[in-house]
Parts: sequence; structure tokens; C-alpha cells
Amino acid sequence: MHYPDRPLTGPAGTLERLGLGALALADCLWLYLRILGGRARLDLPAFATALRQSGLSVLPALTLVSIALGLILGRQGELLLAGFALPDALLISLTYAIALEVIPVLIGILVAGRAGVALAVRQAGLAVSGELDGLLVNGIDPIRFTLAPTLLAMLLMSTAFAVWTLLVTGLTTGAWLWASVALSPARLVETLAHGIGPADLIGALIKPPLFALLVAPLACVNGIAAGRDPRGIARAATATMLGAIGLILVVDLLYLLLIG
Amino acid sequence: MPLPRPTATTPPALTLTGLYQHVAGRTALADLTLTLPAGEWLLICGPNGAGKSLLSRLILGLDRPSAGTIALFGQELERLDSGAMHRLRRRLGAVLQGGSLLADRSVLENLLLPLRETPLRRTELARAARLVVTLLRLDGLEHHDPRALSLGQRRRVELARALIHQPDLLVWDGVADGLDPSALAEILEMLDTVRRNRALTLIATDNTPAALATHCERALVLDHGRAVYAGPTATLREAATDRLELRAALRGWR
Repeated sequence: MHYPDRPLTGPAGTLERLGLGALALADCLWLYLRILGGRARLDLPAFATALRQSGLSVLPALTLVSIALGLILGRQGELLLAGFALPDALLISLTYAIALEVIPVLIGILVAGRAGVALAVRQAGLAVSGELDGLLVNGIDPIRFTLAPTLLAMLLMSTAFAVWTLLVTGLTTGAWLWASVALSPARLVETLAHGIGPADLIGALIKPPLFALLVAPLACVNGIAAGRDPRGIARAATATMLGAIGLILVVDLLYLLLIG
Repeated sequence: MPLPRPTATTPPALTLTGLYQHVAGRTALADLTLTLPAGEWLLICGPNGAGKSLLSRLILGLDRPSAGTIALFGQELERLDSGAMHRLRRRLGAVLQGGSLLADRSVLENLLLPLRETPLRRTELARAARLVVTLLRLDGLEHHDPRALSLGQRRRVELARALIHQPDLLVWDGVADGLDPSALAEILEMLDTVRRNRALTLIATDNTPAALATHCERALVLDHGRAVYAGPTATLREAATDRLELRAALRGWR
């Protein structure tokens, strides 16, 4: 992995960032293969930290948001069901929106906001503190301590969160509709099964790890590009948060246009 | 087992050729040319801002020179791909100014970093760690957080980490940082003992030659990035009596 010793600005800098991101991702995936083949080891303390950052610390917020989302959808469903006589079509469209659009994007932004920014700060902090030099002179690629454990944690937690959030939101919406308009769970499940196919669910489950796969290298490159200036740490964090949101929305749009 | 001493065919440990480094529009190092045979010790000294740390970083391949070449053990750094650089770095040990220990790892984990990718067994790792812990008098600190150590202790840990994999070349930037004179003398004696057993090349930087002159065969005196002396340490004192600029760079060392 190459560590530039000058600011990555302008069009050439953008191109170099893209190249660095691709290299970092390739290095990381190669490392995973070597770990699977027993020829390298995953840094467990860094992985545990990354799991905590992208998992446990995000879980309460994500659960709260899922419940709130479920209640909002339940209440809107109740109001619409009272006004129109099209419960099936309504529920299908609502579920479609939740499962395929809102929840994956929400997970992507929350996980990127926590783990992605933490990764950018860690990577930039390594250079500022001199730890990066210590790793390099000892022949150790710093991504073993930064990108590799964080990306793995983000992939695992994003997938787990997709399942968790779909369940919590669905159950909350169902409970609300059952209590308010007496729409039974059996009827709700039947409607959902009618409106959502396996491909739709797979799409909703694939998107969060796909976002993680793109946001993690972005965060790593932002950290690398921060240089040795302590102010670069804040710049890397901000650039990662804004870049991650933009990237997630663009990729979501492309997914919708290309895959459907 | 002791490694063989360098022979006439052994490539030099370090070769600098017409080296320049520009930093923020300023020439920080200018036209440095030097050859250091394997097994010899080089003292790089000069006042603050002379370019000692910058040169150390270039030698370690952490920065790229603006012009000129650097070769370690006959391998030109600019021409090495990342794999070759990685292999070369396994022959190097480094103590950097400002510190480079991983803050979120214990002293022991930091010490074992250079052996991380080696196929050594747990017992062998423990033996290697025990050896440098004893040599550098770090007993009882193995499980401490580096942030909880004094500067002198952190420097000792860095030095232990730089030596644990038995490097061929040790680059020690700022030898006197955080170490009192007696501790430094003790460490230099220990390194001399290491050198007697195997061909350890040392490149050490300090503001004055006071601590290192008796240990190093060669000296490079820098002032504002330029070499004002490059030659045997034995004749440095004599040269300083004749040349005002050298005497100024050595800050009154006699």
C-alpha cells in the first residue's frame, strides 16, 4: 500500500484517491483470502474494537429508529386504511419502500457514520501520532490494523442490522395495525408475502454490506490523505461522513436503475 | 548463531548519491553523497533543523527524496516494489524521533510487532521478547500501556522493538532523547556487544558527537541540510579546530 507524502488535491488527487481506495480494497480482500488459507492472522483486538464501533454502539440508536419508523408507518397505514379501501396495495407499497429503500440506506448511513468516521480518524491519527511510521518501518501494512478489521466488522454488522431492522420495523408496524385497525398478523404476513418476493428481500439484505464495502475504503483513503497535520483528522472525519452519505445515495440510485 | 562478518563483496549498508530534499519550497537537504560499509556505525549530527530526522526518514523509505538516490544493502529504494521494500524493511530496525509505539497495544504487543509475520512459535516469540526486555531493562513493564511510561522508558521499548528481529541496520534518530547519559552509555555498550557478535550497522543522530563519537567510525555533520563534514570520526575533532563552520555546527564540542 502506497502512502502519499503530499496533499491529494485537484483532479489528479481525486484520481489518486480512487486508485488508493481500489488498492486498499484489493489489499484487504487479499488479506482475507490469506486469513482463510491460514497464511495470515486477523488482528483480533482491532476487530473487537471495530465490532464495538460498528455494532454495539450503533444498535440502540438503530433499534430506536426502527421502532419509530415502524410506528410512523403503522400510524400512516392506519390513517390511509381508514380513508381508502385498498389495504393490500397500500401495504405492499409501504413495505416495498421500507424494505428496499429506507432501511438499507438508514443502516448504511448509521454504520458509515460510526465505523466509517472512526476508521478515518484512526487512519489519520496513526500518521499524526507517528504510529504509522512505526508500522511501516516494521514491515507491517497499516491496513491490517485499520481497514481490514473494520471492513470485516462493517460487513458482518451491516448484514445483521439489515435483518434486525427489518424485523423490528415490521413487527412494530404490524403491532400498530393490529391494535388500531385489527389487521391480524396472519393477514399482514399474507399481504407481505404477496407483495415481496425473495429477490426483493435479498436486495434489501445485500445493500447494507455493499455500502460498507464502498464506505470503508473511502474512509481509509480520507484518513491516509489527511497527512501528518493534526487538523487533517477533523477534515478526514467530515469528508468521510459527507462522502459516505453521497456515495450511499448514488449507489442506491444506481442499484435501483440497474438492478431494480 | 552469530552471523558472518561482512566481506569485501558485501554491498555497502548505505549509499547516498546526490541526495536532495525540498520541503515546502525550502531545500532541507542538499547534495549528500556518502557510503557506509556494512557493520560500521555512522553518527549524523548537527544543530536543530539541520536535516538529521529528515535524512533518517529518507533512509528508512518513509519519505521520497526530491532528487538523488538512496541504496540500502545495494538495493536502490526508488526501484523497489512494495514487496521488495517489505522484505528489505525486515532487515531494518528503527527508533524514530517523536515516538512510534502503538498507543492501544501493550508494551509486549509492541515489542512483538516486527515478528508478527514470521512463522515463530509462541515459545520462540516469548524467548525473543524476554531477551530484549532483559537487555533494555524493561522487566515488569511488558503489560503496561505505552502511554503510561516515561519518555525514557518509551525510548527503551522502541529500541527493544527495533532490535527484537535482529536487524542488519538500526536507524536511531535522536539517541539522547529521554535518556540520561548513564543510561545512554549503557545502551551503547550493549549495542557494541551486539555488534561484536553480528554485523550490525548503526546510523544514529544527535545534536552533538559527545555521546557517540567514541562508538562510531564515521560521522556526517549537517548544517542547514548541507554536509559540512563526512569522514572518519577520529579526525572530526582535528577538522573542527581548523574549520569555523564545522565548529559552529558542532556547537562547541571539543
